[in-house]
Amino acid sequence: RLICTTTARQRKNVGASGPEKYTEAFIKNQIEEFNLGKRHLANMMGEDPETFTQEDIDKAIAYLFPSGLFDKKARPMMKHPTEIFPEQRKIQWGEDGRPFHFLFYTGKQSYYSLMHETYEKLLNAQKYQDQLIAQDLPPQKKKRNLAGSRWLTKIELEEMLLEKLSDNDYSRFILLLEKLMTLPCGDTEEKYVQKFSKEVPVQLQKVVIEPLKYDERGVAFSTGEGGRKTARATAVVYDNGTGKITVNGIDILHYFPVLQDREQLLFPFQFLDRVGKHDMVCTVSGGGRSAQAGAIRLASAKALRSFVTEKEVEFMRQAGLLTPDPRVKERKKPGQEGARRKFTWKKR
Amino acid sequence: MLRSLKGLLCRPLKDRGFALHTAAKDRVSSLLTQDVQTAPERPRAVFYTNENDPANHAEQHEGRLYSIPLDELKTVFPHGLPYRFQQQIKTFNEACVMVRKPALELFTYLRNTNFAHPAVRYVIYGERGTGKTMTLCHLVHYCARQGWLVLHVPDAHLWVKNCRELLQSSYNKERLDQPLQASSWLKNFKTSNERFLKEIKTQKQYMWGRRDRTEAGRPLAEVVEQGLARVRNASDAVGVVLKELKQQSRLGPFRLLVAVDGVNALWGRTTLKKEDKSPVAPEELTLVHNLRKMLMNDWSGGAAVTTLSQTGALFKPSSAYLPQELLGKEGFDALDPFVPIPVPNYSPREFESCYQYYLQRKWLQHEKAHTEAGKEELRFLSGSNPRQLDRLAGPL
Repeated sequence: RLICTTTARQRKNVGASGPEKYTEAFIKNQIEEFNLGKRHLANMMGEDPETFTQEDIDKAIAYLFPSGLFDKKARPMMKHPTEIFPEQRKIQWGEDGRPFHFLFYTGKQSYYSLMHETYEKLLNAQKYQDQLIAQDLPPQKKKRNLAGSRWLTKIELEEMLLEKLSDNDYSRFILLLEKLMTLPCGDTEEKYVQKFSKEVPVQLQKVVIEPLKYDERGVAFSTGEGGRKTARATAVVYDNGTGKITVNGIDILHYFPVLQDREQLLFPFQFLDRVGKHDMVCTVSGGGRSAQAGAIRLASAKALRSFVTEKEVEFMRQAGLLTPDPRVKERKKPGQEGARRKFTWKKR
Repeated sequence: MLRSLKGLLCRPLKDRGFALHTAAKDRVSSLLTQDVQTAPERPRAVFYTNENDPANHAEQHEGRLYSIPLDELKTVFPHGLPYRFQQQIKTFNEACVMVRKPALELFTYLRNTNFAHPAVRYVIYGERGTGKTMTLCHLVHYCARQGWLVLHVPDAHLWVKNCRELLQSSYNKERLDQPLQASSWLKNFKTSNERFLKEIKTQKQYMWGRRDRTEAGRPLAEVVEQGLARVRNASDAVGVVLKELKQQSRLGPFRLLVAVDGVNALWGRTTLKKEDKSPVAPEELTLVHNLRKMLMNDWSGGAAVTTLSQTGALFKPSSAYLPQELLGKEGFDALDPFVPIPVPNYSPREFESCYQYYLQRKWLQHEKAHTEAGKEELRFLSGSNPRQLDRLAGPL
């Protein structure tokens, strides 16, 4: 009976529970079956088996097994076994019971080995710096783009090491990396550190403001689209106007008899102090009265961005004029009368 | 100059702050010369005019407000002003009416009518709340000043709906009488046209029931009295009055103006039901029948001005405002040929003037309402529609 199974068995997530189910031979089998299946599928769909990509597989499966389930992960899928079966740790000890890794008995072998390697790099870097100082050369500092990258999260690190970490461990590791970053490093150290950092898109979805267009009369105009609940609207805002607004060919006084809706339409113009200066022609469909008013408001605010300076665009964004309202009708649940309303409670 | 003194009382510390409209733009003669010492800049803003006689209203007065003295109001308009306007009169203690283009147009037409020809019919139409009834009232005031005999039916819709009592007419078995409406209309008619009623004489003998009768040659006032005293005969009295006036306007020394508001009620449907629950057609009502005869163009010596109104209209969609839609085929043929007069929303100048009026009367209390931005907001939200502006300005 092997004595050292106790610590290994406690960890369920990655590792111990694995080896019985997902042996290497099993995974290899799965990969072979997957490849064969891929070729069969390609033949079925009439495509070339050699150039059948994962996207094609997904499309084919969606076509052959249409599913109405809402959760994408519940639908039938055919992916490479490495994506389906999570990586499992292989057995850490040999036939004689001796573990392979020298840090096995610490319990968190990969974590400590990682710390060990990183610290080694740190010491090398310090030695290098000492050498530079000894040679009276100024310490070089390479600027790294801190804004564009981030460290791996704890979960990502766990996945990489295939073992569980505690928050403390994780923070210590990150501190060590930070310390390493402050020193001038050579190329190998750069590559090592890059393994633990990830690119972050610098400006998430920088919105491009379209320039003004000019129609035949020479009047500047711009378009915008917006939606609210189920209503969708497009607005075309013209310059040099008198404040006339037409919705689906009808004047707003007739289309929106309620004051509240007209106030909603007024808001973007009033915010920018341009109440009587623009004409607008909109089309709207779907939704109810308030939803249509909200949709037109968003569309007109988006269209007005082209007429206005960047600072004012920022003001508009902060005022909430450019944010689509995410509220939609909540689903009715079974056992209740509505989304939240329960049936009348009877004591007996 | 009674009005000017009243103006002094109403507006104690008025327009010192109104440096906007300075004398440079002023074309109105400064009426309150005695007020010059207290307020050197002319006391009334540009949007007022001192021409109280509608006869003298001309293009330069367009967009301005003129006020009607309150005692004149009682004689000329015992009924006929819109309810909201009456409330406004009570609040502001003066009745200010705006001079607008459709009214001026009508004045020119009326001045140039040839009274030997059959009466021309004018139909004032427009969208909801644009000022049709007010235009009609302006016209009525004008004609009253000129000395015409005014037959003003405030709202014909009142005669075709919400009637509690329907009596079978004694004169014609198939028709139905409406004593209440007829008597109230007769009362108001009397107040507005007292002196005419004494002068005009009946030309025929009329029998009321089995006992009463009115001889030929008696003043019309007697017919009206009869109608008021015996409420059962009120509708017939109305019919008699209308017939007499029609016949005599051609020859007589007076001019007749028939002013009907909501004329589309006469040719639409009614909500009234007979005792056996069958619907009543408008022809079966005496009042409507007689009024229809009045609106025919077979008499001369006057004019007929009518207004279409969707607000009280029965069984018509709210977006309908054109004569074709509201009158229906029957009504259109009956009124054809007529002169259509559209009434639009406020022009920018008229809007300005109405806004300044409200400001000056301290009706707009909100601090933002005094700013330019507030004005633009009001303009946008009301869409330059007079009724919307009035309703918006209310809570402010």
